[in-house]
Amino acid sequence: MRAAVVSDYGEPVRIVSLEIDDPGPNEVLVEMRASGVCHSDWHAVSGRLPLPVPMVLGHEGAGVVRKVGSRVRQIQPGDCVVLSWIPSCGSCWWCTDGHPELCERANDAAVNGTLASGDKRVRWDGTPISVFSATGTLADFAVVSERSVVTIPSDMPFEEASLLGCAVQTGVGAALRSPIRPGDTILVVGAGGVGLNIVQGARIRGAAKIIAVDLSATNRELALSLGATLTINPAKDDPLLAILDYTHDRGVDVAFEAVGQVELVALAFNAARRGGTAVAIGVPAPNENLSINAFAFPSQEKTLTGSWYGGSFAPRDIPRLVELWKSGHLRLAPLIKRRYRLDDTPKAFEDLISGRGGRSVIAW
Amino acid sequence: MAIFESPESLHAVLGTFFERLRQVDQAYLVYQIGGTLEFIFNKPSTRIRWIPQPPDSALPFRIAYGEPTEPVLLTFEQDGDTAHRFWLGRVNLQQALARQQVIARGPLSRAMKLIPHLDTIYPLYQEHLVAIGRSDLLEVRR
Repeated sequence: MRAAVVSDYGEPVRIVSLEIDDPGPNEVLVEMRASGVCHSDWHAVSGRLPLPVPMVLGHEGAGVVRKVGSRVRQIQPGDCVVLSWIPSCGSCWWCTDGHPELCERANDAAVNGTLASGDKRVRWDGTPISVFSATGTLADFAVVSERSVVTIPSDMPFEEASLLGCAVQTGVGAALRSPIRPGDTILVVGAGGVGLNIVQGARIRGAAKIIAVDLSATNRELALSLGATLTINPAKDDPLLAILDYTHDRGVDVAFEAVGQVELVALAFNAARRGGTAVAIGVPAPNENLSINAFAFPSQEKTLTGSWYGGSFAPRDIPRLVELWKSGHLRLAPLIKRRYRLDDTPKAFEDLISGRGGRSVIAW
Repeated sequence: MAIFESPESLHAVLGTFFERLRQVDQAYLVYQIGGTLEFIFNKPSTRIRWIPQPPDSALPFRIAYGEPTEPVLLTFEQDGDTAHRFWLGRVNLQQALARQQVIARGPLSRAMKLIPHLDTIYPLYQEHLVAIGRSDLLEVRR
């Protein structure tokens, strides 16, 4: 099969021919039909997100199940599925504590470049190689844990469905699990793949005013079409001053950072009102630290918190997101601005890092 | 009480362990880091560096102590107790970074080249502790 692979940090993304094993007892083989191209993949390419290489990229995909392992009961060949990059085990301390997004085994798999079982099913010239976050969706096929797939309606377009696998769950989930109240004023720093879905989640949650900050004109326009009431171009206006002007110096009720830059996490924290909350969602490098005013915690009762995968549990949340999509509350098609074939994945990454805005999807 | 009471006591254990690591198969992984790796220790305060040597050298890197006089590519700062636990295989690096028990500076991805091999290096530290008569350090308080 063909796959988009990074052979070493900083090396170009290449399309190479790989061998893929049959699924293990609790695994399924998925024929990929669509896969998002995400900044997290690019961070693995650059080494900012240090994961084991060589690695099959991609973690946000949808496709059709072709084979199932001997112990798989819930999934059948022919099922249309979205892939989740957190195959929660259901039995570790975090899963049983109600935080499947923090599953220890899924985290270990992601860090080690394996599947949830600890195995590797993809080989390059006979040598097993890693897959991104227990998935590896930028390939013709992916063997994943049965816990990594959630069925979707057969008439749902794969390109739109693929985005449910990461950006939509992360963005909408973060908004739905935040302290947003109907009528609140919300800030979204970074209106990219995740940020645009925070905008949608905030709108669904009942926010009255939604401010989106982004350098890309395309992303600012998309944010307005998806529910933002004000956009700020940080190349033109000082974001904090513009936010304070818009909120009569009070600040926003809930602020989200969806870029992964520590300065922007500080911006989100500084823009939150007294008693407000800032939520860090973007992924910085593992060795980056943040500097913010410590006095603001007690004296202004501010909260700074984080959100991983939007606090989502794919088997619970993807069906709900599908219902929101069916009812028109959640819009997916407008998010997709560019479509590529798998062989053009390197070009898709070039366009991603050039900041063209909107989502890029690889379609088969 | 700290595992290492002085820089000298840390050098006598971790320093000599690093000297031993120069002679094992995994030592050549230092070339994949691509530059000097420095461990900055607090409690006790000291520094130890792995300095790669030319490929035709007898050993792939040399050990240096104290303030660096040469460019350093990657640093890991931690206290002596954390370092001891790390080489025993009792520290999850990802969690330690998140808790600031270990502060990494420089291109962290270069260190990833070592991570898959750590499981083969931890037993060497345990063997080393026995060899230098410090079996008392094999168990750490939880």
